Amino acid sequence: MRPDTLVIGAGVAGLSCARELALAGRRVVLLERAAGVGGRCATRRVEDQAVDHGVVFLHGASADFAQALAAVEEGGPLPGWPLRLKGSGRPCQDTAFSPGAFRLAYRRGISAFPKHLARDLDLRLRAPVAHLEAGPGVIRVATGGEGPREAPEIVLALALEQARSLLRTLVLPAGTEAAREIAGADGLLAMVGTLPCLTVLAGYPQGAPPPAWDVLYPEGSRILQLVAHDSAKRRDPRRLVLVAQAHPCWSREHQDWPADEWSVEILAELGRLLGSWAAAPDWNFAHRWRHARVDRGGELRRPLMLRLPGGATIGVTGEAFHPGGGVEGAWRAGREMARRLQGEER
Amino acid sequence: MNEQGLSLDELVARDRDHDCEGYGPERVCVRIVGVADLPTRFGPFRIVAFWNNRDGKEHVAIVRGEVSGAQSVATRLHSECLTGDAIGSLRCDCRDQLETALRRVGQQEKGILLYLRQEGRGIGLINKVRAYALQDKGLDTVEANLALGFRDDERDYAIAAHMLGSLRVGSVQLMTNNPAKIRQLTQYGVQVDGRLPHVIPPNEHNRFYLETKAGRSGHWIDLAGKAHLPEQSDPTVVEGMNEED
Repeated sequence: MRPDTLVIGAGVAGLSCARELALAGRRVVLLERAAGVGGRCATRRVEDQAVDHGVVFLHGASADFAQALAAVEEGGPLPGWPLRLKGSGRPCQDTAFSPGAFRLAYRRGISAFPKHLARDLDLRLRAPVAHLEAGPGVIRVATGGEGPREAPEIVLALALEQARSLLRTLVLPAGTEAAREIAGADGLLAMVGTLPCLTVLAGYPQGAPPPAWDVLYPEGSRILQLVAHDSAKRRDPRRLVLVAQAHPCWSREHQDWPADEWSVEILAELGRLLGSWAAAPDWNFAHRWRHARVDRGGELRRPLMLRLPGGATIGVTGEAFHPGGGVEGAWRAGREMARRLQGEER
Repeated sequence: MNEQGLSLDELVARDRDHDCEGYGPERVCVRIVGVADLPTRFGPFRIVAFWNNRDGKEHVAIVRGEVSGAQSVATRLHSECLTGDAIGSLRCDCRDQLETALRRVGQQEKGILLYLRQEGRGIGLINKVRAYALQDKGLDTVEANLALGFRDDERDYAIAAHMLGSLRVGSVQLMTNNPAKIRQLTQYGVQVDGRLPHVIPPNEHNRFYLETKAGRSGHWIDLAGKAHLPEQSDPTVVEGMNEED
């Protein structure tokens, strides 16, 4: 059966949008290019130990978001994490430590939250979308692996740059109101950029001294914005695991280098900050987040809703479409998108 | 207790521990926290500084005469527009509207200009510049403007209404071309006795209002081809212009 809505991207924004629509009785299909949900709320398993290599912890300031996070019982919530902070460097989001803000992680990994949002949804993994096409009252999407699909509504819940390039594949009659709206959306998305983050996961030999902090924000490091003591989130960790995340501008300068070249520099910086042992882990993995986050203060006020001739609708949502951004912003922007699609203006 | 006729200085003392339920859905509460003389090129005024519990912005009232307890006080609501008010931008008419309002209030025995620190109707300077940038590309699209935050915001009126309430104004005559503003203020308990059309004098920068009509989406296109955003939530009326346009 043809879905009412196709949501492209199963990060937190896409999941919360799909969930809200499904709860309202809509037929929703969620297309995700990766093998799992969550986008930047990412956890991988190394030697059977969970490692969060994207978002390090979740934070927010409002009761409903706190409830949504606390509901993920199967994740093993760690309220208040990180409890032990070190360093006076700037966090990725200043508001994470504002008065009234709460913080939280999960024993089983940050991805417990998106997995919880994804339960019971019609989700197609490994289904990248390359192309959009406007048909009569519908939008067709070309997906790799899945064959084409169509729906009267589609939602792009992707990094801004990816949403923008998909919108650009649409061909609309020049001079129409819809073509102007799409061009306006394109111009708007071009103004809100995302920041990259080069990340290294490092596992140390047994007997390595566990640091006395959960998160370190080093002051005076040109390279590293934060180091997370990831194994402190796990019960009986097999190893000490640290996750090092680089500053946006250093990441921008180095993101097109081969990963083994920039990861060596990040490990050397870890050694400089923590002691030479930290530069020589048993294993390390490099992860290049090209679109790690929206620069703070650059967010828009609400999701976009673009109507095409014939009645089809394209929604565009994500972290950038709620003031404040972050995971909470993504979660809110997804719900706001669903409400707009259902014609409920706030 | 009869609070009518309190001087502005007495209002500061009264508000020291003011804490009310708040106005509007956001429960905005404001306090008068400072009053001083403000001689201006439009005549002598007093400036009244407000604290509020919501937006961290420092709103002010520019006041002529003893307005506490007064009736039918000529009142103008002006939203901050850095580019227009201070820089003299020609992409809007804010400076003309501000100067006209101050001049008119300055001619009254009693009058008020509320200077509300909500740049570009609350969307902030960054998003206003982005909206200008879209216009520079020839785009003036509804969705983009909405995503940037351009829409009427009732909180504006809640703050303004509380400010007028704090000043103990009996009733106002609102200087506006937008009857919806009167409705909103009335909703928050402000007694509005009437509307004074806010007509700005013609000059070389706004004469296109007399010569052309509003274009697509109701925006005016000036002689340099720039659309004028309605930043004051108040349609521009230039003397000699047909208000129906």
